[in-house]
Amino acid sequence: MLLPIEPDGPVPIYQQIRDRIVEAIASGVQPAGSGLPSVRQLAVDLGVNFHTVNKGYDALRREGLLRIGRKSGAVVRRDPASGPPEDPGLIDDWAARLHTLLAEAAAQGMSAAQIMAHCEAAIAGFAFPPGGSTASAGGGRP
Amino acid sequence: MAADATVGFAGITLVLAPVVSKPTVPFGVRVPPERTAAPIIRAQRRVYACRTAPVAACSTAAAFLLPARAAWWLPRLILVLELCACLACLQLARRQIMAVKQAERWFAGHRQAVVADTGWRASPPRFPVRWLLPAFVVVAATVATGLLRYPDLPGHLTLSSGRVVPRSPARVFAPVIAQVFVTGLWTGILLIVYRARPDLDAADPSASAARYRTFLGWVARTILAFAACVDLTMLLLGLRTWQLLRLPGGVPLLPLVAGLLAIVALMIRAGQGGFRLAPAGDGGHAGRGPATADRDDDRFWKGGFLYVNRDDPALMVARRFGAGWTVNYGNPAGWLLIAAIVAPPFALSAVLAALHA
Repeated sequence: MLLPIEPDGPVPIYQQIRDRIVEAIASGVQPAGSGLPSVRQLAVDLGVNFHTVNKGYDALRREGLLRIGRKSGAVVRRDPASGPPEDPGLIDDWAARLHTLLAEAAAQGMSAAQIMAHCEAAIAGFAFPPGGSTASAGGGRP
Repeated sequence: MAADATVGFAGITLVLAPVVSKPTVPFGVRVPPERTAAPIIRAQRRVYACRTAPVAACSTAAAFLLPARAAWWLPRLILVLELCACLACLQLARRQIMAVKQAERWFAGHRQAVVADTGWRASPPRFPVRWLLPAFVVVAATVATGLLRYPDLPGHLTLSSGRVVPRSPARVFAPVIAQVFVTGLWTGILLIVYRARPDLDAADPSASAARYRTFLGWVARTILAFAACVDLTMLLLGLRTWQLLRLPGGVPLLPLVAGLLAIVALMIRAGQGGFRLAPAGDGGHAGRGPATADRDDDRFWKGGFLYVNRDDPALMVARRFGAGWTVNYGNPAGWLLIAAIVAPPFALSAVLAALHA
């Protein structure tokens, strides 16, 4: 997996690390059970502070996406084929952020059709298991 | 003789440094991929070559023309003057390029990114252990020859410096001590380099990772072959001290010089991080959104060649001016590494001096 970050960009670096890994899990690049570099190694490879990577990994662990063991390093816990979310509260939180994101597009004057086209293009890039799971992904209330 | 060769080798590497440096960091200044052939950079390349080539030629000539009885520090002084003059030329070129870069806002409209390849850690390149064999063979041959010769040696030895000293195990086996140090040092540095972060282009990470992997393998093999060459030089010096072989003055240094030339040839052929190797990159712009460039990190490179970044946990990073790697001086472990490289020869000579006092 290639993990690009913009160290001088507006988004905090830990957030960028977390976002890129979430995207890799959704697109099937990092399926459940696959490993990620240790915090120390990723910090060296990105040239950023050890604590920054730790913060990004910790966010993923709290979301239930990553398991961090002392010996095994960081392992992906869930992917699109792992079934419905473990914590229903996550969906509410996600729906609130999605609402803001879609509102930004509407406020800028994008049409509903344009917004839907972008959503469909994004979803087309995700690695849903064959049969059924797309419906459950769409069932998360707009 | 060794000091003269050092002045010549330093001259070659300093004059050629811009040729082997990555095109995106000319004279230690980070530039976006599409600016690597900017007129100011081409002009400064010519100016730098015209300034440093005479400096290197004069220094080398001066070092070789020194009378044999000249003070021991004179060649070293010439070396230091040569280094300072070339670094001054680097600063002049660097300032000119930085001024144009800032005035024309070269990085405006670029995504400045750093990229990690997690696959690199999952399947790291393998250290070419088998290439240690030549060095081991030479060291073993030196030890065996020394042990066989030791009982028949006369009470006094003539060292390669011409000094006549009483025989002692430390003096007889000095070549072996030097061999073990050189081989161990280079193996250790290479092992650290194998764990260092790969030098990836944010604009073209996959191809640059493949090139870097090839480059790393070539460098490791060449350096290990170089260590074997140095060991061979030590063996030849030993054979002379042990009065087994009568060799003219400079002959034992030939393997060392051959090894150094092999390193220079590799760096010119491959370029820093292997940027001249296949597969070549596409220059960076995929055509959608802002062009991606490596992060403008000039502020961490003091004078364009010293890396000082306290936030970076890396111990060694890819060099900017010239090819190879350098220490992160912002990391306390970097200073420890420098000490570990510099201290042993001094400690060893102090111990030897104490033994013979």
